[in-house]
Amino acid sequence: MTQPLLQLRDLHKHFRLPAAPFAPKPILRAVDGVDLDLMKGETLGLVGESGCGKSTLARTVIRLHEPTSGSIVFDGQEVGKAPEGLLGNFRRRVQMIFQDPYASLNPRMSVGDLIAEPLEIAGVGTPAERRKKVAGLLDRVGLPSDSAQRFAHEFSGGQRQRIGIARAIALEPDLVICDEPISALDVSVQAQVVNMLEDLQADLGLTYLFITHDLSMVRHISDRIGVMYLGKIVELASSADLYHRPSHPYTRALLSAIPVPDPEAARAVEPMQGEIPSPIDIPSGCRFRTRCPLATELCAKVEPQLTDIGGGHLAACHFAGELAQQANGVRAPLQERVQ
Amino acid sequence: MTDISPEMWAKVPAGEKAAPIPPPAPTYGQEVRRRLWANKPAVVSIVFIVLLVIAAFFGPYLSPHTYFKQDLKLANIPPFFETYAVTDGAGETTRFFLNASNFNLYEVDAEGNMLGLLRGGRKDMIKKSQPYEFGDQTLTLDYSKLPVRLLLEDGSEVRPSGWSWNRTYLFGTDQLGRDILVRQLYGAQISLTVAFVATLVNFFIGVFYGGIAGYMGGKVDAVMMRFVEIISTIPLTLYVVLLMVVFDSGLLSIIVAIGSVFWVDMARIVRGQILSLKSQDYVAAARTMGASPARILTRHLLPNSIGPIIVTLTMLIPSAIFIESFMSFIGLGVTPPLASWGSLTSEAVETLRAYPHQLFFPAAAISLTMFAFNFLGDGLRDALDPRVGR
Ligand SMILES: Nc1ncnc2c1ncn2[C@@H]1O[C@H](COP(=O)(O)OP(=O)(O)OP(=O)(O)O)[C@@H](O)[C@H]1O
Ligand code: SF4
Ligand SMILES: [Mg+2]
Repeated sequence: MTQPLLQLRDLHKHFRLPAAPFAPKPILRAVDGVDLDLMKGETLGLVGESGCGKSTLARTVIRLHEPTSGSIVFDGQEVGKAPEGLLGNFRRRVQMIFQDPYASLNPRMSVGDLIAEPLEIAGVGTPAERRKKVAGLLDRVGLPSDSAQRFAHEFSGGQRQRIGIARAIALEPDLVICDEPISALDVSVQAQVVNMLEDLQADLGLTYLFITHDLSMVRHISDRIGVMYLGKIVELASSADLYHRPSHPYTRALLSAIPVPDPEAARAVEPMQGEIPSPIDIPSGCRFRTRCPLATELCAKVEPQLTDIGGGHLAACHFAGELAQQANGVRAPLQERVQ
Repeated sequence: MTDISPEMWAKVPAGEKAAPIPPPAPTYGQEVRRRLWANKPAVVSIVFIVLLVIAAFFGPYLSPHTYFKQDLKLANIPPFFETYAVTDGAGETTRFFLNASNFNLYEVDAEGNMLGLLRGGRKDMIKKSQPYEFGDQTLTLDYSKLPVRLLLEDGSEVRPSGWSWNRTYLFGTDQLGRDILVRQLYGAQISLTVAFVATLVNFFIGVFYGGIAGYMGGKVDAVMMRFVEIISTIPLTLYVVLLMVVFDSGLLSIIVAIGSVFWVDMARIVRGQILSLKSQDYVAAARTMGASPARILTRHLLPNSIGPIIVTLTMLIPSAIFIESFMSFIGLGVTPPLASWGSLTSEAVETLRAYPHQLFFPAAAISLTMFAFNFLGDGLRDALDPRVGR
């Protein structure tokens, strides 16, 4: 493989929360050291519970947030620290689709103006050419061409999301970051939108960073899946491998919470205890240890790193190797220790 | 959402169409207009304001009077009066009315047009009476006791024969004999001009300042808002007095004063709006496209704050009118013979005991106009609020 399209290295995004005057401001570590490579043309699914930092990661990658530290390399260029004025090319080649199709479309702009806005900002074409391009885009996402004069509030949720998608692909970007693009939609519309995204990917050679908390859907669309917990990626594998061989206790807990279509897949009941800890106060050692059924003393002291457990399957658990074998049907001594 | 089976993600067959688009819903503008028209006080206010503006700027051309021409012989004429009719031996009838406050008789015709001041005979200073001769008839005006009486030669009192509107001076005249209606219309011109100019200045400064403070946020915002607080603590009167040293005209200093002080309200409103809107996803979307702050402000944030901005503007107009009137009232406003509602009010107050009707017109003009703009502002706020009736 060649150079990845997007490369994140030890990316951090911390928020300083407001506090009483003179009191130290608590620091919320929403993204806390993410390493990720995105290959051209692939879809990387990112899953995790609410509040684990998925949106913050997406918004940091697209530079809506200033990264606290770490690097973002897009197509060989460091963009994490570049000032806004030098991001021109990056701004054209990376686009985002938002979760809320109501909030992400300006209610005072016509659909035509909404879709033409990225073209206008990038200075592409004359107004007439842009109108033509907008008509083509509307057709591409399955909306009637007279939609251009209408306003977003005249459309249903699914249609609005199509408007958002048309806007995101207007500049024919390389990378599209989808932050839960379908979770606000009706179940019946979700499939249509996902299929459209897949078609667009095939036609335009898009790369997707696809964020969701819907595990059954992410498997359908993703080539690889990353599982995020408290600001960090704890497991990363091809989607088949992840479902077949979940090797982090958190992934297993997530999977056991959904009906797994594959009856052979391991279904060891590993219930998660308690609530997700606050990102202001992340546990020492392994960040999952407060809820992990397998936690040992080692877990409190040493933070497990993402390591390859074979075949490009990465997991951040001291016992990932054993869990992987167990998932393969090999009874590991671990099983007894758990009981 | 977690229990969707994977089959759900299968492709929809090619022939299948997306859900049909619903019929066009009324646009926001149409919706606002509908709700505004349904609001009766607001509609009445709009009509009143439009009529007032037309009257103020075109009315004076239709009048034979000017705002500055004095006629001391016809001072303090009321807008309506009780007429007396006296017929002399030759059968000539003279109609006149009695101004009970300055003891003058004014001749009028049958329709109520002013013909002029009647000349009486020598005043008897001791008996406090004055004879008036009409051919062979003589009436005596007796002002030794109030109310004044008109007596015939045989000592019986003359009764008024009816009452009439003043056709020459519809609103009467002031203490210098100037037509009150025309002065009233000129006053409206000045008051409305001051209000609109000041409001326009407020609009531009306030929206610009508040927009920048809200969009930048953080320290810039804190500093800019402290400055706003300092400005809003300066008493306006002091400010106008100081400005009058710089600008000779009281009018200009009032406009500058209102324009340079009142924008703080607008700035606060706009800043609050921008602060709450800038975390919206559509602003984030614009930022990911590389939109400049100026573009985000003008294309996204301000158009979405237009409702509160318009409401604040309509609410600013009555306060500007009131401030101008107040300043003119206490003598810091327009210079005579120019009139504004405030200076008309203060002139009328001088003669309040004798001619209370003179206060009625400017006071009514000020209050009705303020009412109208307040009702309109309320109506606009309700109409523009998307939470109402949606
Ligand atoms: N601007 C901000 N200021 C302070 N804290 C923030 C900010 N944005 C996000 N956070 C915090 O960062 C953490 C991660 O939030 P984030 O929105 O990234 O989660 P998420 O994984 O997208 O959740 P969800 O599935 O609910 O969208 C949360 O605890 C949130 O409160
Ligand atoms: S490192 Fe320990 S606590 Fe963390 S997931 Fe693995 S077993 Fe659980
Ligand atoms: Mg989110």
